[in-house]
Amino acid sequence: MLWIVGRRVAQLVIVLLGVTLVVFTLIHLVPGDPVRTALGIRFNPAIYAALRQRAGLDKPLVVQYFSYLGHAVTGDLGVSFQTGQPVTQILFQRLPATLSLAITGMIIGVVIALPLGVLAAVRHDTWVDSGARVISQLGVSVPDFFIGTLLILAFTGTAGSLPPSGYVSLTANPLEWGRHVLLPALAVGLVAASILTRFIRTAVLDELGRDYVRTAAAKGIPARIVLRRHVMRNAFVPVLTVVGIQLASLLGGVIVVEVLFAWPGLGLLTYQAVEQRDYPVLQGTVLLIAAIFIVVNLLVDLLYAVVDPRISLR
Amino acid sequence: MRMRWIVGLGALTVALAACSGGGSVNVGGTSSAGGTSGGASGSGSTLSVAISGEPDQLDPQKTSDYNSFEVLENVFDTLVEPNASLQMEPALATSWTTSPNQLTWTFTLRNTTWQDGTPFTSADVVYSYDRIIDQKLPNAYRFAEVKSVTADGAHKVVINLKQPTPDLLNAIGGFMGVAIVEKKNVESGQIGQHPVGTGPYQVVSWDHGLSITLAANPHYWGGAPKIKTIKYTFVSNPTVALQDLEGGEVQWTDNLPPQQVQSLQKSASGFTVKSVPSTDYWYMTLNEARKPYNDVRVRQAIAYAINPGAIVQAATFGNAVANETAIPKTSQWYYDYSPYTPDLSKAKSLLAAAGVKNLTMNMMVTNEYPQTVTAAQVIASELQPLGITVKIQTLDFATWLSQEENGDFDSFILGWLGNLDPSDYYYAQQITGGSFNFQKFNNPTVDQLLNQAQTTTAFAARKSLYDQAAKIIVDQASYIYLYNPDVIQAYSSDLHGYTVRPDRAVRFNDAWLS
Repeated sequence: MLWIVGRRVAQLVIVLLGVTLVVFTLIHLVPGDPVRTALGIRFNPAIYAALRQRAGLDKPLVVQYFSYLGHAVTGDLGVSFQTGQPVTQILFQRLPATLSLAITGMIIGVVIALPLGVLAAVRHDTWVDSGARVISQLGVSVPDFFIGTLLILAFTGTAGSLPPSGYVSLTANPLEWGRHVLLPALAVGLVAASILTRFIRTAVLDELGRDYVRTAAAKGIPARIVLRRHVMRNAFVPVLTVVGIQLASLLGGVIVVEVLFAWPGLGLLTYQAVEQRDYPVLQGTVLLIAAIFIVVNLLVDLLYAVVDPRISLR
Repeated sequence: MRMRWIVGLGALTVALAACSGGGSVNVGGTSSAGGTSGGASGSGSTLSVAISGEPDQLDPQKTSDYNSFEVLENVFDTLVEPNASLQMEPALATSWTTSPNQLTWTFTLRNTTWQDGTPFTSADVVYSYDRIIDQKLPNAYRFAEVKSVTADGAHKVVINLKQPTPDLLNAIGGFMGVAIVEKKNVESGQIGQHPVGTGPYQVVSWDHGLSITLAANPHYWGGAPKIKTIKYTFVSNPTVALQDLEGGEVQWTDNLPPQQVQSLQKSASGFTVKSVPSTDYWYMTLNEARKPYNDVRVRQAIAYAINPGAIVQAATFGNAVANETAIPKTSQWYYDYSPYTPDLSKAKSLLAAAGVKNLTMNMMVTNEYPQTVTAAQVIASELQPLGITVKIQTLDFATWLSQEENGDFDSFILGWLGNLDPSDYYYAQQITGGSFNFQKFNNPTVDQLLNQAQTTTAFAARKSLYDQAAKIIVDQASYIYLYNPDVIQAYSSDLHGYTVRPDRAVRFNDAWLS
């Protein structure tokens, strides 16, 4: 157990190192320059050169990279070109909004997908199954921002009383947080539900065809109990993997949905950083997202052992 | 308690804002434009505003972001300021005199204080202007003719000029980018996030990604504002901003879906959509450092093939006025000149005379300004009959700007916003080697006219110089001018005393909520 955690942490460091290198290279391959962007239309070459020098952008890329790495090791991810705030501080400011949106969205997704997926598997090849499959296919194909726009038109403005944008933190006012999180969480939750429904259906269907199910049925155990005690438990392992990956990607910030709903999380931050070519912030968000991804996957692996005693973590 | 600290500053500021009755977006969800929501804690005096993006920073002398200025217009002051009809009026200076040779201007300052209580003095003015000039900040070009700025006692400032500069008041007052800032606030490094101004409102919190909250400055020299709190939220999607307004979550926005403006003007209930001619202009230009665009006949041919009226309809849904010169009809500097009536046969013969056929032209536009993308599509179809194939490059603004700066373009479409003096419209864009002359236009007569106009004081003489320059610029098709857009803002029927200004300055100090 300890050993696997240690190995994963070592992996984390290597992956993050790779991420910094890739992000750094990509950022500099994309045309556009943070100082130029900050100056906007009113451009003056002398000012431009002075500002670039002040930001250290006139140094060779290799020097810039290693200086960044050196600071990053000590937890200093630099300061934002735009606001001058330390990047680590910005990331921690944005994390709560993304956490609460991702977790709420995931809960909505699981609550919808679990009954729907199981039902579709149990009643497979009936109209219930076809219905569930059509709906989930639709949910996978329609982008989340479009679902979000529809939700906004249906439930805000003169049509309803939910706010179409903004955020109130959970600790400040839980009720208001709930009103604000509902629509964006539905937008991401419905998409997650569609993906999960398909996986749950397949996983449960797989298990239903196994010999032990037939044996259990032959022994006269009621189908409901077979399903709950045996099938669902076994089907849970692959489903858990998908839930983990889904959650990790939601935690990385749902860029388009956060931008649409003016939700101040990591996704909106990433979007702004790209627009403004705010290199330190962009590198910071990508690093954090990569770290979240790896950590969530590690947690999922550890959970396997809990769900399925046959899997031992050594 | 510990939990809240871990959750971070963001949560804390929201909590504080909610405590101080600033959370007008919250509570109730009644659709009657905020007036009744939020209970008895005086939220009738909280104005919620949706702007299209988050300010990059709040140092007025350093930012060039319009979203920043939408906030800062209410926080800072300039020495003089344009009123709603764009005439210069006293602000931090109450009066001024000019020496007989026009080279020395003496400003008498207002007796007022900074929002932190420190008295406002001439040293602040000297510091502010020296900072812009010495650090070469984005508005340094406005001080090109200034030799020195000195204090004469605590309440007088003397500006010495290199040569007579009739548009000095415009240079130091026409734009909040030359606001007077507090030395202490700058040197403590606070100004970018927690600015201290002399204006009607002070910044109390900035919740990054979400909102900026301002509180009324009770000691404001123009009288304490009636609206006690203003909350700016950042809503990039215009449909969402409109829903915010319709649902009463906000009482003001300038981020509206352009295609809906005209129908909203007729049918909106609970709010008004106002449009006012702006001082902006949008144009297309061709890279004169490249062949064949260095040939004036090619540029003219393109100008003859373009129909600005069609572009106005497509790109702005009719919310603009087509114009073949830069300065709008509403200005006293307007020059009525439109030689390029769409004429395809003339365009074809000009192109043939230049020996150009089957030309492929890149046109650079940016999704930062979606109207440029639409305008490019119209222009592409208008140029097709000429045998010109337009390849539209839609770039993000950062890339766009870097290509513009490198001269890496055949043609592009963009605009100049918030112009007041005619020199704003023409000088830096058209003079040889000018800092915004990316199209590399080079005409000695225009140079001479523009330079002469910089130092001419009499209105009629000055206007005649600009008219002559404009005629050559249009004839030479250095810029192919397209239109002057309207300023479009929508606000709740509960907001009174607010004026939509042609220069896009958003000021709430005289407004009140019912």
